[in-house]
Amino acid sequence: MMHRLDVQPGECLDRRQVLNFSFEGRNYQGYAGDTLSSALAAAGVAYLARSFKYHRPRGILSFANHDSNTLLQVDGVPNVRGDVTLLREGMRVSAINTFGGLAHDKARVLDRFARLLPVGFYYKAFHSKRLFAVWERMFRALTGLGEVNLGAAREATPKRYGFCDVLVIGAGPSGLSAALAAAENGAQVALVDESLTPAGNGAPAALLDAVHASNAITHFPATVAAGYYADHWVALASATHMTKMRAKAVVFATGVIAQPAVFRNNDLPGVMLAAGAARLLAHYGVAPGRRVVFIAANLEAYLHCLEFHARGVPIAAIVELRAAPDDHAAVTACAAAGISVLPAHAPYEAICGPDGAVAALLVAPLNVAGQIDAGATRRLECDAILMSVGWAAAAQLFLQAGGSTRFLDALQQFVPQELPSGIFAAGRLNGVYDIDARLADGRRAGSQAAAHAGFGAPSSAVIARSKRCPSHPFPIIDHPRGKNFVDFDEDLQVKDLENAAQEGFDSSELLKRYSTVGMGPSQGKHSNMNALRILARYRGIGVEALGLTTSRPMYHPVPMKLLAGRSFYPERRTPVDAQHAAWGAVWMAAGNWRRPEYYAVSGESRAESIDAEVHAVRGAVGIIDVGTLGKIEVHGPDAAELLDRVYAGRYSDLKVGMTRYGLMLDESGVIIDDGVIARLGEQLFYFTTTTGGSATVFRELLRLNALWGLDCALMNVTGHRAAFNFAGPFSREILQGLTDIDLRDEAFPYLAVRSGKVAGTAVRLMRVGFVGELGYEIHMAAGNAVEVWQALCASGKPKGLRPFGVEAQRVLRLEKGHFIVGQDTDGLTDPYEANAMWAVAMKKPFFVGQRSLRILQARGPRQKLMGIELAAATPLPKECHLVIEQDAIAGRVTSVTHSRTLNRSIGLAMLSPALAEIGRDIRIRVDDGAMLAARVVAAPFYDPKNLRQRVDFRS
Amino acid sequence: MSALVLESRQRRDRIGLKGPRAAQWLIANGIASPPEPNTWMLCGENPGSDALLVARLGATEFFLEDGAAGMKLKDIAPDLDENPPGVYPVLREDFALSLGGARVHDVLAQVCNVNFSALSLEARPLIMTLMIGVSVLVVPQGAAAERQYRIWCDPTFGPYLGESLGAVVIECGGRYTGACG
Repeated sequence: MMHRLDVQPGECLDRRQVLNFSFEGRNYQGYAGDTLSSALAAAGVAYLARSFKYHRPRGILSFANHDSNTLLQVDGVPNVRGDVTLLREGMRVSAINTFGGLAHDKARVLDRFARLLPVGFYYKAFHSKRLFAVWERMFRALTGLGEVNLGAAREATPKRYGFCDVLVIGAGPSGLSAALAAAENGAQVALVDESLTPAGNGAPAALLDAVHASNAITHFPATVAAGYYADHWVALASATHMTKMRAKAVVFATGVIAQPAVFRNNDLPGVMLAAGAARLLAHYGVAPGRRVVFIAANLEAYLHCLEFHARGVPIAAIVELRAAPDDHAAVTACAAAGISVLPAHAPYEAICGPDGAVAALLVAPLNVAGQIDAGATRRLECDAILMSVGWAAAAQLFLQAGGSTRFLDALQQFVPQELPSGIFAAGRLNGVYDIDARLADGRRAGSQAAAHAGFGAPSSAVIARSKRCPSHPFPIIDHPRGKNFVDFDEDLQVKDLENAAQEGFDSSELLKRYSTVGMGPSQGKHSNMNALRILARYRGIGVEALGLTTSRPMYHPVPMKLLAGRSFYPERRTPVDAQHAAWGAVWMAAGNWRRPEYYAVSGESRAESIDAEVHAVRGAVGIIDVGTLGKIEVHGPDAAELLDRVYAGRYSDLKVGMTRYGLMLDESGVIIDDGVIARLGEQLFYFTTTTGGSATVFRELLRLNALWGLDCALMNVTGHRAAFNFAGPFSREILQGLTDIDLRDEAFPYLAVRSGKVAGTAVRLMRVGFVGELGYEIHMAAGNAVEVWQALCASGKPKGLRPFGVEAQRVLRLEKGHFIVGQDTDGLTDPYEANAMWAVAMKKPFFVGQRSLRILQARGPRQKLMGIELAAATPLPKECHLVIEQDAIAGRVTSVTHSRTLNRSIGLAMLSPALAEIGRDIRIRVDDGAMLAARVVAAPFYDPKNLRQRVDFRS
Repeated sequence: MSALVLESRQRRDRIGLKGPRAAQWLIANGIASPPEPNTWMLCGENPGSDALLVARLGATEFFLEDGAAGMKLKDIAPDLDENPPGVYPVLREDFALSLGGARVHDVLAQVCNVNFSALSLEARPLIMTLMIGVSVLVVPQGAAAERQYRIWCDPTFGPYLGESLGAVVIECGGRYTGACG
């Protein structure tokens, strides 16, 4: 049983300060400086979690924040990492992934049905379409770690950018040495380490002191370098925030990760990695048990054993997997201390006690071929089993950085092979294990990194790798009854990986995806290496032939709040935003714009307000802010030529003072944008794009203009110009009272553009008719927009003016049958299909998409955009509901509304050519599976001869 | 070092110029322009004071903003109404901010990935970059200890940029003030 020892030299605790907390409803005490895991361990709490699939009890494994066994729910926050979360007074802690609590978890019964949950179970379950929904419900209910508290307060987690010359990842001996060497060469250094406790990991005190004394080294303790991005950009995640560190060079001193032995019941609480147990002992004064067995396959086991022995922890035995331990003083010292060593023995099965934790270990001898003699087992009584059988290179970030590795048989480890420019590796990651060599390798890497960043000359030292092998080549013990776990996150046993390989998933990438090995919160830190060994054995090849999989960023789990940062949301507001608010705007997001969906009026419902806005435009006058439209100017002798090439229509013959609709296609003839093009001078055009398209269109035009070398210049004035659409029968009369421009039909015909003043402000006035009434688009400098808006509203109010929002405009334009690019068209729609060939000048010598249109013309349309009328006013289908013909999809609704003006429900639908006939009856399937009847009709639905846009109305 | 302050500066006239003859037009109107793209200079009788700012955004593209003293844009803008060949005026209604004082680089490190503290001001660099998702022009001015940053963005992003930057500034112990001219 784990328990707290007396005060240990160098421990991280303040034992004068006692902290109270609860776990699973029971009260405990720890000390200031404790982590959640250490406090629970000290309190003798053996198991902290239930495993993901079989709900087996789990306890501390790595004590390094590398495994999922110590994920906890703390004060409503899920998946808090117990190994590295400091204890606070009053914490309420519970286990995750249980049904009814840790001790009485109802799902623990799943452990008995392990045989029925083979590898690839998810895939196999979902193979049946019939049972898909059943499995989906069951998996959704059973899976997932932790409970999200949707009512939790938002935490501010500001991100920040950091800059340095040399970034050193890992503050062990080689990392410290590298940081100091780089700093001494003149570089500004950032030193990052994930440890919560003081870094160093065996480094000389003088080195630590020198590093801390250096002004050129910035420390990032308790910080994980979680992802590497292009150009030496590394995501550094601390408990409170993310730092995006840009370095000129990076030293990877990421070290190695302790690996478990694989044997039956190796997941029982009480089975730990020796390195983790040693940290628990040294920093928190917690003994892992009252009688400990070591499983050894390297020198570190003996060194740890001596530490435990020195602190009074009884050692039952060292089970040595090798034929003989190293010839080293530590081994001799263990023997001298009377610690029993069982060479050429292996752990066969951990025995579970009545408390659910380790009670004993069955060990068995190994023959010269490394095979176990299961008939000669012996029982070692113990309550803790500490594993020190090998290491895996912490190469995840290095691989993300584009490095490659090779497997060294002599070390049983992958080591860096090719290093991209500006990337350096040092220490145990390089296969350098002896302390002096690690220090020297760090100096070499630090010097070379500094030189790469422009500081000093690079070291030419060559550091030899270790001669002794620190890792066992196959620390995996078969057992006929299994439960010998390779991946603790995913409850994967040896047989699961063998079965996956047998089913054909026999490469490291396929094995990972099919079995999910390495896909849990640990990201394979403890499982990938053993999984490769099992696969290599199955295939009869060496590990080097398989290679490592590359973890994607973030290779170590990072709280979502750190990724969210402050949650900046770039929002655009037009200059009359405050005026909208004053009219009662109800906002909606249109791309990144904030726009009024409609204007709420006391006593009116949403639908009534929208109807009233439509009614105002049809019967009096309305005003809508269309400043969100893209607005671009093109100046120069070749301005018309540019537009002729990028738009499907012709603009070189457009008269000054007139506008023309513009349809923009891509190279494949697909409609990508539209707008109105106004000619303000022989060499000056001003045109609009869709709200969402302005930046894209502008960039594309810049690219094409540069490509073609035309003599013209483009300006995106989208945000610098405001625009309103002032429409309705009274629009001319009201506007004439505010402008010096002659608005009479003969002076200012439909589709004309004029420059002048409105309310004393310079404007561009376009007579266009998107909403199907007499109307004017008024464009002005953004800084003058408020006074123009206010003047128009004040003058219009006596005539019944209402501002109208996006929803009313949607109804108005649909009544006119106008399509919206991106809503009524999709990524395949061409002008033939959208009935927009009237806007295409095929006789022009060239325009983007012209060649494709010729091909498409010969092929014929695959679909046609048609007007539809619903048989009943309600219910309305939704946009994107499918049109069904003979049980097959034959189209989709793209826009639909109920028009009170027309007193019918109308819409647009993209239909297969066979259905695209006026008068054809169609059926639309809605959400609940019901079929709605509709008929294909001609569009526009309202004022098909466009008389309303030309008639001179007077009040 | 002075206190951290973010100020809104909306009241100054601004204009952009593009075109193959834009540089010559400036010279013809007595406005010196920076010889290199992505640099800026002050123009007027007392360079270094709060005078007309001329920023060169590209080989044939300029941005000008009135200073408190010296030459004014309204005096030269009428020339552009005559459409001089090869000179294309650009409407600039930018939202403008000024940021400076203690911890200014703490603020900038939270909103932009440019290492402003490492910039050498001798070259008078003009930075075109993204700041919390918004395209901005940034002109660093002043000595290292009293570094001031002039920031311009599309006016429709102005409220967002100002409010967001202001929140960071306040969190860093500074203040966000409204228009100061």
